[in-house]
This record gives sequence, C-alpha cells and structure tokens, in this order.
Amino acid sequence: MTRKTRKTLNMIALYAALIIASSFVIIPVLWMLSTSIKTMEEMFTIPLRWIPEFPTLESYKRIWTDYPFGRYILNSVIVVSGATVISLLMSSLAGYGASRFKFPGRAIFLTFLLVTQMFPSIMLLIPYFKLMKTLGLVDSYMGLTLAYISFTIPLCSWLMLGYFESIPKELDAAASIDGASRFRTFWQIVMPLALPGVAATAIYAFIVGWNEYIFALVLTTSENMKTVPIGIGELVGQYRIAWNDMMAISLVVSIPLTILFLFLQKYLVSSLTAGAVKQ
Amino acid sequence: MNKSVPVKQVRRDKPSYKGQSVGIWFVLPTVITLVTVVAYPLLYGFYISLFNTNLLNRWKFIGFSNYLDIFTDADFLGTLWVTSRFTAGAVTGHFVIGMILALLLNQEFKGRAIFRAILIVPWLFPEVVVALLWKWMYNPLYGLFNDILLRLGVINEATSWLGSTETALFAVILPVIWKGYPLVMLMILAGLQAIPREQYEVAEIDGASWLQSFRYVTLPSLRHVLMVTLILDTIWWFKHFGVIWILTQGGPIKATRVVSIDIYKTAFESFKFGPAAALAVVVFFIVLLISFIYRRLLSDDA
Repeated sequence: MTRKTRKTLNMIALYAALIIASSFVIIPVLWMLSTSIKTMEEMFTIPLRWIPEFPTLESYKRIWTDYPFGRYILNSVIVVSGATVISLLMSSLAGYGASRFKFPGRAIFLTFLLVTQMFPSIMLLIPYFKLMKTLGLVDSYMGLTLAYISFTIPLCSWLMLGYFESIPKELDAAASIDGASRFRTFWQIVMPLALPGVAATAIYAFIVGWNEYIFALVLTTSENMKTVPIGIGELVGQYRIAWNDMMAISLVVSIPLTILFLFLQKYLVSSLTAGAVKQ
Repeated sequence: MNKSVPVKQVRRDKPSYKGQSVGIWFVLPTVITLVTVVAYPLLYGFYISLFNTNLLNRWKFIGFSNYLDIFTDADFLGTLWVTSRFTAGAVTGHFVIGMILALLLNQEFKGRAIFRAILIVPWLFPEVVVALLWKWMYNPLYGLFNDILLRLGVINEATSWLGSTETALFAVILPVIWKGYPLVMLMILAGLQAIPREQYEVAEIDGASWLQSFRYVTLPSLRHVLMVTLILDTIWWFKHFGVIWILTQGGPIKATRVVSIDIYKTAFESFKFGPAAALAVVVFFIVLLISFIYRRLLSDDA
C-alpha cells in the first residue's frame, strides 16, 4: 500500500467514524423535531413515521395558549438574569483581586471557592427550604436568585480569575505610576479589556442557571413561580402525555442558547478549558 | 495553582504583602455573599442533621443518631452501590467516547468545525430536555429506541427499558453519557492542541508507531487535563439528580435510587428532614474526599 492510499483510507475511516458519532446526536434531535410537528394521532402510530403525513405547527401554538410557558420563561429569565448580573459584579471584583494581589488569606479564599463549587446542591436543599420558609422567600424571585448565586458566584469567580490572569499585570503597574487608584485601575483600565471574558462568563452562568432543576423544584410551589425546567418536567406526570407539545417546548427552550453558544464556540470553549490545560 | 505564601515572609522587612492587602476589599463582597448563601446554610444543614424534626413544631435533639442509622442501615449501602455504578458507568462512557472523538477532531480535515459543533450539542441541552427526549425514545410502544433495535435485530420484542429493574440503571446511564461526553471531549481536545507538534515529529523520527506515540507522547501530556476532568466529572455525576428523577424517580423499586434521589425522597416525601440532612453531610464528605484526592494529584504534578 502506498503512502497516499493509506492516507485516503485513513480519511475515509475518519469521516465514517465522525458521521456515525454525529448521527447519534442528529437522530434524537430530528426525532424531537419530527414529534413536535405531529398530531396526537400520528404520534401514536405504528410503524413509526419520520415524516408526518399531516405535519402541523399546532404544538408550537399550543405551548403558549394551553400551558403557562410564557410565564415560566419570564420567571426563568428574571431569576437567571438576576443571578448572572450579581455574580458578574462580584466575581469581576473577586477575580481581579485574587489575580493581582497576594493578600493574606488568598490561599484560603481560593480553596474556599474551589470547595464551594463542588458542593452538592443537594446539601443546601434542606437548610434552604427551612430558611426560605422562615424568611418568607419560598415562591419568590429573591429566594430563587439567592439559591442560584450559591453556585453561579463560585463558577464565575473561577472563570474571571482565569481571565484576569491572562491580562498582563504590567498594565496595572503603569496605571499606578500614573497615580490611578486601585479601584480606578481595575474599573477603567483592566475591566474594559476583560469584557470578552465577562461575556463568556455571563453565558456560562446563564446556561447553568437556565438548566437548574432541583432548587427550583423545592423552592417554588405556586404555578406562577415555576421555572422552565420545572414546568417542562411536570408535563411528564400527566395522564396522557402530549409528547408533541413537550418536544416543541423542549426545542424552543434549547435552541436559542445552543445557537448562541455554537456561534461563540471557539471563544467560549477556550475560557472554559483554560484552567484545566497547563501550557 | 496557587502556593500559599510561607509565614516568615509576612515579616516587616520583606514587604511582600505591602500594598497587597487592598486585594481583600476586592474579594470581600464575594466572601460575605458566599458565607451567607453557602457556608451558613451548610452549617445549618449540619445542625438539622442532629435532630429528629419535621422543620415545624418537632425539634428533638438526638445527637449523632441519624448518622449511626445511616451507617448501620443496609439501605444506605445499597444506595451508595447504585450511585457508584451509575457514576462509574457515566464517567467511563464520557471518557471513552470523549477521548476517541477528541483524537478524531484533532486531525486536520475539511468540515472539522461542523462535526465539532454537532458533537457539542447534547451538552447544551438542559437536563430536563435530555431526560424528556430519552423518556420519549424509550417509550415501550412508540419509542424510537425499541424501533431501531428491533430493526437491527438486536432485540426480538419491545422492551420497557426504564420499567425493569435489570435494565433501568443502564437506561438512565445512556442519556447521561449522551449529555456529558461533549465536555470531556472539549477538555481533552484543548489538552491535545496544547501538545507541541515537534514532540510527535521526534517520535516519528524515532520510528514510533501510532500506538506508541499515543502511549508515550499523548497520554503523558494529557495527564493533567485528564485528571482535572476525571475528578470534576466524577463529582458532578456522583451528586446528580435531574435526569434520573425525570426518567425513573429512583425506581423501579430501588434500581436507580442514587444518593441525591434518596435525600430528596427522605426529606420531601417522607418528611424525615433530620436523616436526610445527615445523609447530605455524609455525601459532602464523600465529595470532599474525592476533591482531596484531586488536589493531591494536582499538586503532585505541579
């Protein structure tokens, strides 16, 4: 076998492997799509049909009229945005502080961050349930936001710390020679450079919050306060499961973030893996 | 990772902290917030674990009885065993698939970006969506899963994968592998791309086969990434709740009852908050143990 044919064969094997792997992703997603445009009757027919005879967008209408998904999405957006903004403010400060200054207790702070990030949220569940009840925060945006920052702040702090580490410290020194205060150096010199990092961090915090399930399960009880994942999860318990509606709402809540991420993929991935890859 | 500063440097004649303590003001808001929303509730959770309580009017202090019960209870060992198998299955799946795909994507070829984008997708779907999608695919009568397996001749009759104690654990692990492999793939891929090309060229000149250069160049260079990812992935799925909850709620019987589900059910279905809080503390120490090993291994290769 010549070198060239071997190379061609390798390429064919490579594409074959990747096509097979991708089909494991594409087939379920197409099945979601196919189910979401079926009528109730067509959904339960045998043999299974990939392309419905009577395709319909009814499910995509029904999710807004027959279910309170508009409300669920609003709830999720409010809580998750709130948690994201608070986390970004705090983690920018913390990330900058920990990357620029060797203050006493820095090592403890970093360990604390690392450990909090690993806490099973299940550990906080019972105390949160009790505390929120006592404070009257069950079924409130505030209560859920507080619960969400317990995991978004540690995550954001790590990501921001990694990002600030990549910005040359000489900049700070130059600014301080010019007489700028520490805070002004941070806010006017370094922060503008860190904005891409802030954006990446924001997207991660938003995705993690948007997908959160167990806190929302325990800390919301009224129909009005449920978040998207809880609302969707509840549909499973119903007597006759409207899979078409469920697949429609699943696609609606997954696609926007997926597309956003894929667009910014190159950039987002590097900020995530930076901590794990040592150069 | 950071090395803590030796104590003697704090002495006045070595001004290593001079002007550095201003850093405290930057981290202070985060510290105060995390103490309020994480540290305090954790301690409070520990406090609850010492009681026989319904969190309302019954607060009977019973010391460490809840812990004693956990360790003398065969149920806990059963739960731990299910959790371990679940975690091992998920993590192994993530690493085998993640490693293979990362190696493939590390080649140069046309369409690489497209394949990479497609292969990331499951990771971006919310847990609930992944769970629902698979629940629908597992539907014994109208599910795609049985349909495909029947056509391929893998099985002879439609099976209720989630409904049988023998297959349920396997059936919850599959979606979790589907959801989780992209992160491992991305991590390994980033690690691969950080390996200098010259190392492979040297290996090739020395006449190393593909397998040898994988064994002697790739794996050692990936050690750090693999370790970090392995431990994070293990901890993440060890405490997992969402997908299993939606697929099986821990059943049938206790076939998929992992610790998180156990805690949730003990607390919010049986209203035994004390024992549930104690269980959570035990899980915390298990996770801490895993992360301790993680830090040890990390500092070893630093």
